[in-house]
Amino acid sequence: MPQPPTKILDETGIALSNLADAATGMFTPTMRLGVTGLCRAGKTVFITSLIHNLITNANLPAFAPMADGRLIGTQLAEHPERGIPRFAYEQHLAALTGAQPHWPDSTSRISQIRLTLKFQSQQWPASMLGTSQMHLDIVDYPGEWLLDLPLLSLSFAEWSAQALARTHRETSKSEAKPFLAALNAVDPVANANDTDAEKLAKAFTQYLGESRKDGRALSTLPPGRFLMPGDMEGSPALTFAPLPTPSTTPRNNSLYAMLARRYEAYKDIIVRPFFRDHFARLDRQIVLVDTLRALNAGKEAVHDLETALSEVLSCFRTGATNPFTQLIAKKIDRIMFAATKADHVHHTSHDRLEAILKRLVANGARRAKFAGADTKAIAMAAIRATSESTLEEQGETLNTIIGTPQKGESLDGTNYDGKTEIALFPGDLPQKPESIFEPDTQAPNLNFMRFMPPQNLKTSAAGDPVLPYIRLDRAMDYLLGDRLK
Amino acid sequence: MKKPVARPTKIKPEPKTEQRQPRAYAPPTEAEPIKSFTEQPADLPLAAPTKKRRHWLRNTLIATAGVLVSLSLALATESLIRALFARYEWLGWVAFGAASLLVLALIVLAANEIRALSRLKKLDHLRDLAAKTIADDNPDQGRRLLAQLQALYASHPEMARPRKQLDETTAQMLDGADMVHAAERSLMAPIDARAKALTAAAARRVAVVTAISPRALIDVAYVAYESIKLARAIASLYGARPGVLGSWRMFGAILGHLAVTGGVALGDSVIQQMLGHGLAAKLSARLGEGLVNGLMTVRVGIAAMRVTRPLPFDALKQPAVMDFAGDLARLNAPKDEG
Repeated sequence: MPQPPTKILDETGIALSNLADAATGMFTPTMRLGVTGLCRAGKTVFITSLIHNLITNANLPAFAPMADGRLIGTQLAEHPERGIPRFAYEQHLAALTGAQPHWPDSTSRISQIRLTLKFQSQQWPASMLGTSQMHLDIVDYPGEWLLDLPLLSLSFAEWSAQALARTHRETSKSEAKPFLAALNAVDPVANANDTDAEKLAKAFTQYLGESRKDGRALSTLPPGRFLMPGDMEGSPALTFAPLPTPSTTPRNNSLYAMLARRYEAYKDIIVRPFFRDHFARLDRQIVLVDTLRALNAGKEAVHDLETALSEVLSCFRTGATNPFTQLIAKKIDRIMFAATKADHVHHTSHDRLEAILKRLVANGARRAKFAGADTKAIAMAAIRATSESTLEEQGETLNTIIGTPQKGESLDGTNYDGKTEIALFPGDLPQKPESIFEPDTQAPNLNFMRFMPPQNLKTSAAGDPVLPYIRLDRAMDYLLGDRLK
Repeated sequence: MKKPVARPTKIKPEPKTEQRQPRAYAPPTEAEPIKSFTEQPADLPLAAPTKKRRHWLRNTLIATAGVLVSLSLALATESLIRALFARYEWLGWVAFGAASLLVLALIVLAANEIRALSRLKKLDHLRDLAAKTIADDNPDQGRRLLAQLQALYASHPEMARPRKQLDETTAQMLDGADMVHAAERSLMAPIDARAKALTAAAARRVAVVTAISPRALIDVAYVAYESIKLARAIASLYGARPGVLGSWRMFGAILGHLAVTGGVALGDSVIQQMLGHGLAAKLSARLGEGLVNGLMTVRVGIAAMRVTRPLPFDALKQPAVMDFAGDLARLNAPKDEG
């Protein structure tokens, strides 16, 4: 039976915080934007690009407040919660726009930032009161941690069954071998001892690390903190592993009972606070999905991604809101699903990319719609790394993209060094999104390379670098536009 | 299904050896864009479709009568010129010159009328295309629409900067709807502002004339005169100077529009009641009537905007009667403001 993700105490805390928010936000409301995405989906780049485009008053034609000239300006502001590191916007921007542009390193800790948007309202009575303000709070975190959220509703036995089933799959058999050997060596109902637990946990961590290394298994491998332990490394809450359920009820001092307690502790100490503090009180959500990488990796990866997204999305609180219930219970009333890195395909393929994305998140979208939230799917690139062109090849015209592949990317035996600019035709996306799930059809022949960030950026009149993008302005309009009316 | 291909940009690509695998697909079918049910009723087309055919006998009657009248006119002219030649030759030449000029003028006039009508039709077409582009978000259609809009306003010198700005904004765009919205923001916004100013000025004049005119007949005539003038001016602003026939048709469309949508929201009619029959009427019955007539003119102006604007109101808000209440209240505002 699924457990509720939070306890009554948490709920009380959430409700009180919402009430406090409502009181302090009477004049300057705060919007919490949930940037959701598994690891490498492009959260950090998205947040950096969003902030940069807002604070430099960039050209955002589809972002109505900017296009209408109602948005006066945006500034970085100090976050009222001072215990969490600030999102290193300046460093990330420097990485992207420096002399040697490169993508920011993958995120290893949580960070947050607050923006203050100043605008002129066009609605009575706010329009009579001069300029209005809104705070925008954004949190960045490692995507691996997101996979822990579904654990909140799983017991140790349920999670163990899932995790063990995954180790027996055809594709992960070789990586799981050492762990399965270690598992066979211990007896779950024997008396607990720390050496066994540590051995098991180590083997399990190794298996998790192995299986995400080649990028095939994208995701569905919680617990996320095992690979990014931080300060918690070696603590009992991070020293457990899945165990097969014993046939008899295990004694209290058995290994099984100990690991089950540690699993619960992991949930209590790590997952639940993470959820409560950062995800339980969101107003809007953008779900970033790296569809192309999953397609590159094959059907298995696409399946993994779909499962992971569906599980993660079920944790969020979605639904229609009204000003009264908003006081104590915040809900996400708009979700934008974005297929990131849309610049890695030609714009004529964006429709198909969107269709595939819609298919991938269909479960989550259906749930959100039922709850009364509004959803939308787009193909987006927070930073556009390529340009477009066409190529004549054997009498047919191929729509290509031009960019510099990252070091180590290869196609047809050619390896790229990260300096050569090429024109790439990455293959046709399937016309029917369903075909990527059908087991009997041949996998589409695709190769989406990873490209370096754009070199030689233009600068605006004010001297700021201009970050090119695809449909970022549309996403912003959908997520923020109606609150800036 | 195409295979992935990568080529260096600098070097000429060498020919590929592999062949694509053959795949059979169902022929592509184009789906109709789904329009939401909450949409406002479609605007009546400016150039209304040709009316129902009349009975053939009637058609024959009119046609033959027309031919006979034209022939008799031609005959009369011909015999007049002939007679003049017989009397004094120079008088004959004068009459001949006058007749040729008449024919030429008629031809030019007819051509102008046809051009004006086609301009109005063009606006209808653009609005349809824009609505379709917003619905199905097709970038190619959006580019076509942008090109046509650019061509439409190429002869308007005051639109040079907005057009340039639109070009810059839309250069990198990939979505049809965004292009339409950008076009609306850069091209329509300045014209909308001018159309609103014209409407406000006309409404003020109507209100003043109604308030001081000695006879009801004069009000009616003046309201009609101002309405026609206003509608023509607004149409010219949006890029279609209507001729006589065009004005006729456009006015038909505006009246139809007023009848279908009422042209007023609920709030507007309340204001009308309050302003016209309530407050102002208590001060002076004539003033109340003046305000009512002024608001009527405002409605005509808004309807004219909707009918002649080449893009539907989507990114920008359609002006409401309420927006003009303030203008009407300042009856003594300087006239050149409009």
